[in-house]
Amino acid sequence: MAGTKIFINKLSRPLVSEIFRNYKTMWIISNHIKLFSAHNVNEIFLRDIEKNILLRKHTNNVPVIKTLLQKLRKCPNDVEIQRQIEIELGKLPNGTHSRVVNYGEKGHEVYNNNLAPGTGEQFSDVCKYLNVLRMEHLGHFAGHKSYYLMGDLASLEQSLVRYTMSYLRKNEFKLISVPDILPSNIINGCGMQTEGNRNQVYKIDSEECLSGTSEMALAGFFTDQVIEEQCLPLKIAAVSRCYRAETSGLNEEKGIYRVHQFTKVEMFAVCSEKQSEMVLESFKDTEMCLYKQLNLKFRVLDMPPNELGASAFQKYDIEAWLPGRQMWGEISSCSNCTDYQAKRLNIKYKTKDGLLKYAHTANGTAAAIPRLLIALIESNKIENGTVYLPEELRNILNNSLLARNKVVPSLKLIKHF
Amino acid sequence: MRILQSHTNNTTMVYLLRYTTKYLLKSAQQLPIKRSISALYITGDKAKKNYAPLQPYMDFEETLSQHEPLEESIKARKLQINLDELKTKYAKFQSMKNQIKQVEEERESVSKKLKELNKVGAATKEIEQLKEKGVSLRNALKSLKTENYPIEEDFIHSFLNLPNHLHPKCPQGNVEKLLYRSPTPRCEEQQPTHLANKELIRFYNNSRYYMLGTLAEFDVYSMQALTNYYVQKGGFLQMANPDFARLVLLEASATPLEKYHLVKEEDLISEVNRAYLTGGATFEGFLAAFARLVVFPKSLPIPMVAPGRSYVKVANKEGQVDNLFTATQTNAVQTFVATKSAEEAEEQMDKILNLAVDFYKELGVHFRVIYEDASALTNAECLRASIQMYSPAEQRYICVGNVSNYGDFVSKRIMFCIREKNGYTFPHIVSGSVLHVTRVIALLLENGVNLENCRLLGDPDSDKKAVNAAVDEFKDLFK
Repeated sequence: MAGTKIFINKLSRPLVSEIFRNYKTMWIISNHIKLFSAHNVNEIFLRDIEKNILLRKHTNNVPVIKTLLQKLRKCPNDVEIQRQIEIELGKLPNGTHSRVVNYGEKGHEVYNNNLAPGTGEQFSDVCKYLNVLRMEHLGHFAGHKSYYLMGDLASLEQSLVRYTMSYLRKNEFKLISVPDILPSNIINGCGMQTEGNRNQVYKIDSEECLSGTSEMALAGFFTDQVIEEQCLPLKIAAVSRCYRAETSGLNEEKGIYRVHQFTKVEMFAVCSEKQSEMVLESFKDTEMCLYKQLNLKFRVLDMPPNELGASAFQKYDIEAWLPGRQMWGEISSCSNCTDYQAKRLNIKYKTKDGLLKYAHTANGTAAAIPRLLIALIESNKIENGTVYLPEELRNILNNSLLARNKVVPSLKLIKHF
Repeated sequence: MRILQSHTNNTTMVYLLRYTTKYLLKSAQQLPIKRSISALYITGDKAKKNYAPLQPYMDFEETLSQHEPLEESIKARKLQINLDELKTKYAKFQSMKNQIKQVEEERESVSKKLKELNKVGAATKEIEQLKEKGVSLRNALKSLKTENYPIEEDFIHSFLNLPNHLHPKCPQGNVEKLLYRSPTPRCEEQQPTHLANKELIRFYNNSRYYMLGTLAEFDVYSMQALTNYYVQKGGFLQMANPDFARLVLLEASATPLEKYHLVKEEDLISEVNRAYLTGGATFEGFLAAFARLVVFPKSLPIPMVAPGRSYVKVANKEGQVDNLFTATQTNAVQTFVATKSAEEAEEQMDKILNLAVDFYKELGVHFRVIYEDASALTNAECLRASIQMYSPAEQRYICVGNVSNYGDFVSKRIMFCIREKNGYTFPHIVSGSVLHVTRVIALLLENGVNLENCRLLGDPDSDKKAVNAAVDEFKDLFK
């Protein structure tokens, strides 16, 4: 890795100090110094990297890098080859936590709240009866897997956002409103590729991308910044719309289980290298508290290497039991990205001794609405055609029940006059 | 003798048809290749490649017979549409249609005759001649249709470009009509721009900005509060809408395509009917739910409200500085009501505006509601009210919400209809974004309002706070 040289703006402006007490940022004039240098890559480095890639079942681009390196040896001053190598190095996954290296391909259950399973009614059946979800015949007008939440189900979405926000506020998270349209370099920097076939990222006509999670916008927020160590960890929450181009034809992922657009409340932290594991544990605990109060039967899995995204060093998944589908469904996860995103987006902190180090980042899902709706409806009591909601949500929703929508008539379409 | 004459006539006819076919095929090849493509109306030749999700209801005679109001609307909106030219196009289209009909009828009679002759076992020669005639007629029909497609397309696209009639209340001649002015005086003193709050706003460009702390909380809570107010006080049904709307809906609602970003999808369901990023809290966000929907009269009115995102690109104006007023993304609250009649639509528009006025009054900052001039309207709107707050930094009013009456213009184009005893009628639609949260935040900052102290009508916590404050005030009287 190349040595890092940092130029600090003499007119550094303290920002957002009011929001994050004692948080000071110093803006940098020069942009990010190259993350990897093609000249510093050697065989041993590549061997270890390939081993890690194979362990994680990540796309193996080491052979490509090796070929490029051979080319570079022949033409050491070829800037284009150097650039290509740097791009390939940027795609490499993060390292893997030693604890999970020998997990095989299955996650280890580290917690299970062992609640009794709920009623067993299918989410789609309940919604059909209550007339609160419309998914039919929308493809040619809105798009594949589009959906309308109606009446109490739509209110429940906002109530879940409110419930999550107020819990996070109490736990000293600071809220940031984030953009959903981002330049591709930020998304790449977070470990998501924006180029190539079968991409998960939507692009728009301005060549910008639609954010798949607010983690991207939040990581982008800290790009090119240096933060004082005593301000860390910075705990942030954001409510955003997430856009994912991925599709699924699997029967168990039907309905709104996997959709292209959804609302999510996200947790994000910038911390020091010593803090990231602790922050990850605290994210996991926050998620557990949130779902416990919603009466969900859930378990926590410590995920194996092959389930880790490119940026994650370690990851917990929370799966709720979905009685209607008779399966465990992932409703949340949290990851420790160590310095992976920080290196790509140039996020640093200044130690008490004045040293500049790459920060660590962590992220976690506090509430991904569609799956939480499925879990809630399938897990709670249904009586006389109405769904009883958990105490925590009743106050927010101003209603303890999820009632039938009588405003919109049942679907009847015309073909021609 | 009679048979012979008929034979001669038939031969002449066949030759004539052959000649016509050749001529038509040739002229069809010479026609300009580039034809506009629409997802709203797809001609037969393009239907194989492009699925037509709906067929807009178009009453040519009725529409074109209302020359006067149409002319008035075109003039007031400052559109470059020549109604006489359109009528000429219509005549050409009609004449082509008649020709096609004639050949079709002829073809049908030939095939009928052939069937009969086959039954009675007539002479092979006669059958052959008829068959030949049938083939020629088929070719002639094909040619006529090929010739007609561009004519049909040209006329129908021009027809679909016609604007809605104007509402009698809609001001014309570059004037605005004041509907309401809040009693709170306007801040006339020049104030710094909202972007001066660097600790709370980080603005990169129109696509990308961040708001922090109190602003971010207000961003969500104000949207939820106003939605809740419409649900609780107005009896509206809360909705969460999809964020993409396809071209067919944008064309149906006469939305200018430059208003939204085009989404570059990998799996295109249609080359033409592409997706646009509108956000769920937009008029277009509602339309997919109503396309081709049939309702009974007793179901109406259907009042709905959706909180969510809106991604409207603001057109660059010379000398305009980019800031939160010009940003694309915002949280918003969109209302939508389908009604039975023009009168009901008017009532609902007033209701939406009254509820919005209640909400804005509580913010404690000057605002006004106006009817916009006809030239500002889209072709689908017949009347638009705009809710505006004053920016002391830019010394101008900024639109923070609007409510539009679309009449039955959009319903007809998306086949949203009412099943009556004797056929179908079309609901009148009123819809509007009643809260553009990002702009409201910027304006409150410029007006020196502390967001934490803002009372949000419809917010459960804010309502509780207000009740407690009132009780405290009452108690203070007895101290």
